[in-house]
Amino acid sequence: MHTKAAKRWVDRLIIAVMAILAVFMVLPFAWLFSMSFRAPGEAYKMPPSFLPPSLNFRNYAAVLHSSVPFLRIYWNSIQVAVLVTLGQLITCTLAAFAFARLKFPGRDSLFFVMLIGLMFPAQVTIIPIYLGFAKVGLLNHPIGLALMYLTSSFGVFLVRQFMRSQPRALEEAALMDGAGYFKIFYRISLPQLRPALSALGIITFTQTWNYYFQARVLLEPQQSMTLPIAMDLLRGYMASGNLSVVMAAMSMAVLPVILIFLLAQKLVIEGVAMSGIKH
Amino acid sequence: MRSDLAKVQARAGYLFILPSFALYTIFVLAPVIVTFVLSFTYYDPMAGSHWVGLENFMRFFTGDRSLQIFGNTLCFALFAVSGNVVVGLLLALALNRAMPAFMLYLFRLAYFLPVIIAAAFVSIVWGYFYGDDLGVINYYLIHLGLPPVHWLTSSRTAMMSIVIMDIWKNTGFFMIIFIAALQGVPRNIMDAAIMDTRSYWRRFFRIVLPWISPVVFFAIVYASIGALQVYESIVILTRGGPGDATRSMSIYIVEEAFDNFEIGYAASISVIMTLVILVITGAQQLASRRWVRQ
Repeated sequence: MHTKAAKRWVDRLIIAVMAILAVFMVLPFAWLFSMSFRAPGEAYKMPPSFLPPSLNFRNYAAVLHSSVPFLRIYWNSIQVAVLVTLGQLITCTLAAFAFARLKFPGRDSLFFVMLIGLMFPAQVTIIPIYLGFAKVGLLNHPIGLALMYLTSSFGVFLVRQFMRSQPRALEEAALMDGAGYFKIFYRISLPQLRPALSALGIITFTQTWNYYFQARVLLEPQQSMTLPIAMDLLRGYMASGNLSVVMAAMSMAVLPVILIFLLAQKLVIEGVAMSGIKH
Repeated sequence: MRSDLAKVQARAGYLFILPSFALYTIFVLAPVIVTFVLSFTYYDPMAGSHWVGLENFMRFFTGDRSLQIFGNTLCFALFAVSGNVVVGLLLALALNRAMPAFMLYLFRLAYFLPVIIAAAFVSIVWGYFYGDDLGVINYYLIHLGLPPVHWLTSSRTAMMSIVIMDIWKNTGFFMIIFIAALQGVPRNIMDAAIMDTRSYWRRFFRIVLPWISPVVFFAIVYASIGALQVYESIVILTRGGPGDATRSMSIYIVEEAFDNFEIGYAASISVIMTLVILVITGAQQLASRRWVRQ
């Protein structure tokens, strides 16, 4: 078998191919950041640059001084993402505790009913929600968008799976000592759930930050928009000449998600892996 | 005594699921049911709504335009799902080999980065990459002496350009879940396989793929549910054009419901989308029962 040397070469070749592909994965982001520092007049100058030509924050200032209420929109995005994340952490954990640890009639059917929710796209719920929001005055309020997602089947499922993999001896001991269920949940189960909750929190925050379809239907005036829909608007306003200003706005819009990812990439990736192996 | 305890536990159980289940009922279950009902009506809050039976569905399945949009969506889903899953699996296989830890770290970071950035944002960037005259890609093509491509302005290429971007954006997600699945394949199975068969790919198809097939099926279903809903990447890159060449069901639903106020018709389109998802999920359940190792 002459394969040892051959295998080494195959390994090197694979690493080289993977490295080239990795550059292509990152290139659009490099372009976006470098473009945000280009003088607007030179935005379309070729060749494109993938490193900032200079660190001039002029374009960033231009975004803040434009006719689009960028700070207000940014604040809307923060509000929605924070509310949804906190909401899901609370509601999903409570429900997951009941589904994983307590016995009550109809538990498994109720869990099944919640799981079905994974299959319903936003498209099949948006029309009644739009009509309902129009009636109660929640249309064009970012809070309305947040309300839609205060719980999620995915979150309940993720936390329940994680909880089932944890030992329950401590909880049973506490029950013997006469502790109430809420106390057991709060004092014993919750601290054990930290990895699952961080993963759920991060996934939920980025997902909510990125919602487009729902936001576009429910939030029409600029004042009520979230970042993803506003970015499309900004692009229209600042047509060709101001490409670099649009990219400055975009850099600010992706910043929180990129920061979270860089700080907690292990959690994000493990959370995704956790969600994939459900069988 | 025992039944009292059971009662206390049951009450606690209902209380714990109450917030989640109430919200789920209001924002998922009830709207789904209402959409289903609306799909059999002509909805007009002013003049009065009335039942139209299957008319909305007939309209969708007999209209040239709606059928083209249905075809576009299925075509996008087919290519995007197979692309995402196959590329994701190949990347996972490549990363599952021995390589220095820092490289593995960097690769996972790079391939996963587009997954977490909004499709709306990356589509705007790709829109400039795909430009005809001022596009970044065509600049390099011309530089290399190749003919420029009408990435988004020709009805023959536009959909494929969107598929390419979709694979670039999402395949890292599938890579991650496949890496996790591959790590679950027992070492002795991999080792025994090396003795038994000569080629890497034969071993892959005979042993590794069947072993991770539950995750592959999950990935296909998950990717299909996402791809059938495709919206912002198309809205931003082509607005559904040229003509209707890239218009997807989601775009059509929004146009019919909120631009034309054809609420009943739009509801029927979303019901059709949901039924396609149910069929795919059902097929996965059947397939995994039949083929997947127990």
